[in-house]
Amino acid sequence: MPAVQETIDQVRKIDVDQYKYGFETLIESDKAPKGLSEDIIRFISAKKQEPDWMLEWRLDAYSRWLTMEEPTWARVEYPKIDFNDLYYYSAPKSMSGPKTLDEVDPELLKTYEKLGIPLAEQEILAGVQERRVAVDAVFDSVSVVTTFKKELSKAGVIFMSISEAIREYPDLVKKYLASVVPVSDNYYAALNSAVFTDGSFVYVPKGVRCPMELSTYFRINEKNTGQFERTLIIAEEGAYVSYLEGCTAPQRDENQLHAAVVELVAMDDAEIKYSTVQNWYPGDAEGKGGIYNFVTKRGDCRGKNSKISWTQVETGSAITWKYPSCILRGDNSRGEFYSIAVSNGAQQIDSGTKMIHLGKNTSSRIISKGISAGKSNNTYRGRVSAHRKAENARNFTQCDSLLIGNECGAHTVPYIEANNATAQFEHEATTSKISEDQLFYCMQRGIPEEEAIALIVNGFVKEVIQELPMEFAVEAQKLIGISLEGSVG
Amino acid sequence: MNVQSKLPLTAAETALVEQFGTLVGSLPGNAEMVQLRDRAIQSIKESGLPTRRVEAWHYTDLRRLLTRLPTNNAAGDVADLESLVMGSWRQVIKNGSIDTIAAPEGVSISAMADALRADVSGVTIADHGVHDAIGLINSAFVTDGFVVKVDDGAEIAEPIEFQTLHDGGQLHVRNSVTVGEGATATFHDRQAGSDAEALGTVVTDLKLGKGAQATWVTVQETGDASDHLAQLNITLEEDARLTLFIVNLSGKLVRQEINADVLGEGADLQFRAVNLLGDSQHCDITLSLGHLVPNTTSTETVRSVVTGKAQGVFQGQIRVDQIAQKTDAQMACNTLLLSDDAGFSTKPELEIFADDVICAHGATVAEIDHKHLFYLMARGIPEKIAQGLLIKAFVAEIIEELGDERLIGVLETRLDHWLEMNG
Repeated sequence: MPAVQETIDQVRKIDVDQYKYGFETLIESDKAPKGLSEDIIRFISAKKQEPDWMLEWRLDAYSRWLTMEEPTWARVEYPKIDFNDLYYYSAPKSMSGPKTLDEVDPELLKTYEKLGIPLAEQEILAGVQERRVAVDAVFDSVSVVTTFKKELSKAGVIFMSISEAIREYPDLVKKYLASVVPVSDNYYAALNSAVFTDGSFVYVPKGVRCPMELSTYFRINEKNTGQFERTLIIAEEGAYVSYLEGCTAPQRDENQLHAAVVELVAMDDAEIKYSTVQNWYPGDAEGKGGIYNFVTKRGDCRGKNSKISWTQVETGSAITWKYPSCILRGDNSRGEFYSIAVSNGAQQIDSGTKMIHLGKNTSSRIISKGISAGKSNNTYRGRVSAHRKAENARNFTQCDSLLIGNECGAHTVPYIEANNATAQFEHEATTSKISEDQLFYCMQRGIPEEEAIALIVNGFVKEVIQELPMEFAVEAQKLIGISLEGSVG
Repeated sequence: MNVQSKLPLTAAETALVEQFGTLVGSLPGNAEMVQLRDRAIQSIKESGLPTRRVEAWHYTDLRRLLTRLPTNNAAGDVADLESLVMGSWRQVIKNGSIDTIAAPEGVSISAMADALRADVSGVTIADHGVHDAIGLINSAFVTDGFVVKVDDGAEIAEPIEFQTLHDGGQLHVRNSVTVGEGATATFHDRQAGSDAEALGTVVTDLKLGKGAQATWVTVQETGDASDHLAQLNITLEEDARLTLFIVNLSGKLVRQEINADVLGEGADLQFRAVNLLGDSQHCDITLSLGHLVPNTTSTETVRSVVTGKAQGVFQGQIRVDQIAQKTDAQMACNTLLLSDDAGFSTKPELEIFADDVICAHGATVAEIDHKHLFYLMARGIPEKIAQGLLIKAFVAEIIEELGDERLIGVLETRLDHWLEMNG
């Protein structure tokens, strides 16, 4: 079944030409010279006033990175990146550690205002009464401001930029950094370990339910800069935290590199919910410019009964290479992955997840919806595996894709590996989630077929969108109208 | 996607290259064929056998699994097998040399060795690139095989049965089968051998002309020490219909590759496979199916039962070309895992460039449903028998699709035997 007009219009609304976050903020910045070398790493480390162990750690990562090869297995094509033609450090000049919001460059505040991100603590999101979100805003390479710090610390929650955490809580950082994504896990993870400039650090102590949503907004502003942020979230026994992440970048003709690493650790009975609305500049319709989004995200359900849930709405970036994964190590742990990936113009997405079942009675659920339009290519790539000892591992996977126009491609590459007889894996990629029965039910009540389809499909997509916290659901709303009828596996 | 750094040659790789040096003079073929052979072995020498870093070999690391090369000496005598179905036309090849040719009216069958000596252009010795280990090894060492042509419009009532037999050692066989326009034929392809150490490569090109209808059934029951590498290259012209059925019952390292291109509108491919795996078998079915024109259909169903320390693999790739609108392709892979040491890996892959298609795949891996087992046991059926019944039901559902009662009977006997040995 081809896509209906309504769907086509909806997708056009969010086409690459319509990118509205493409403005640039003119702000003086402090940059390291172009290129990558041990000296640059020393420079970054010194700028961040890091302890020696951190510098050693970075240099070690750099030396490992030098021996590694760029991965080429993903279904994405791009000219070779010259890693020496990038700035690895760029910071807004006025940013030498503001104490309050008043000290922050007003230009910066304006930028965040334009992006619709409330940095001022008193501000409450429209329509969402009494709901507050603590924000850590990362501009180019550094964290600009973290809000609601005091209130969070009352609850015992540590929420700060990772550079601060390295200085203030070195033991925690040492203990958990790279414990989920080892330094030499992959090419971009190693690069990130060597040059990461900022990111967020969250520590939720035993038994604490984080009193508000935590959020980070990433913005790449400077030309030719790479953004390498590092996020580390730890939920101790019985803790709960919901974390949101949003990203935008100005419209530029050159490609920019974003190579982040996100590590989550959930101990016994802990739960981490991680949501992303990724809206980096996707390049123009011909594929000029845009962000290369090469991200390693991994969660470790280390404790019993722990749970990690990834939700992502991917609409931006010229190239996306991203597989938020769960290592289900603790018995009875659970991993979830909900994704809507929309590609348009000349975008290329190769994204999915990995659910590695190691403990007993672990379960996972994957729901992935891909929509490709224009000349884009959208690939779901996922791995579900059960270790020999992973008794009663359960997985349910569903991935649907929809093509709009005949110049785009939709691909599904699931890897399913069962090494335990009690494992039960189901993978499903159907043409449409709409059953004849449901359709008949609606039509019999006088709803025309097209509307009935839209109704049923929207209901289904909403199920994914509803996994997003309220603040992001608003942003993702524009995707809800997209119906997925005629979808292909 | 296919990255493999240069590695030192393994014992098996070195043996292949060395063996080529000794054998090349005695292998059949004209000058052009010698060049083809030479190119194939050069490619192996330069790139080595594929490792798991090569996407198409992700779950069958041939470099690691093919540890040594059995001798290539002509081995002992092999007895013919009785036909699967009485009245079949038997074509027998033993240890790589043709033993019997029996062609029904409307079909011409000749020796591949003669074809290789006369004119290679009529026979495709193409390979699928540097990582096509099966095509390359076969091209380098092929000794014989059958060239089968079914005349246009011919209707061949009884099956044509190929028996590819060995008694240890190596065997490299290449077949070319063409079913003419509007013709109908059934082929039974049997791969069997003794328990002596063996390496076999069997490559078959199967071409169905416009409106041709064919059934191809491969029954692989080679010896327990046999490494069996097979490749089927299929093309379907307009309105051609092919039912392809593969049963894997034994072998040490087995890889069945199917490369199929649907080239004509209205063509249809029905693919079914059954894997019964035990001991420390490694069995891999890798399918790459291209829907290249509009209005074509296919279904693929693979059912596997894996026990002991066996490893099963199914990689199924469906490619839908940009112009191939209205393609309907449905793929399913269901597996029963019976032991904790067994494993199954599957990669049902879709690559779609057309927007008005119906493509779906499903994959399940599970043990036998406890509720089903309980239901039977509550009725006084002992656990082992109940389990056997459920496995049989799981597999027989596919076998019964074959329609030919005689063949179904034969295959179900094989299934019962397997259950007795492994249940």
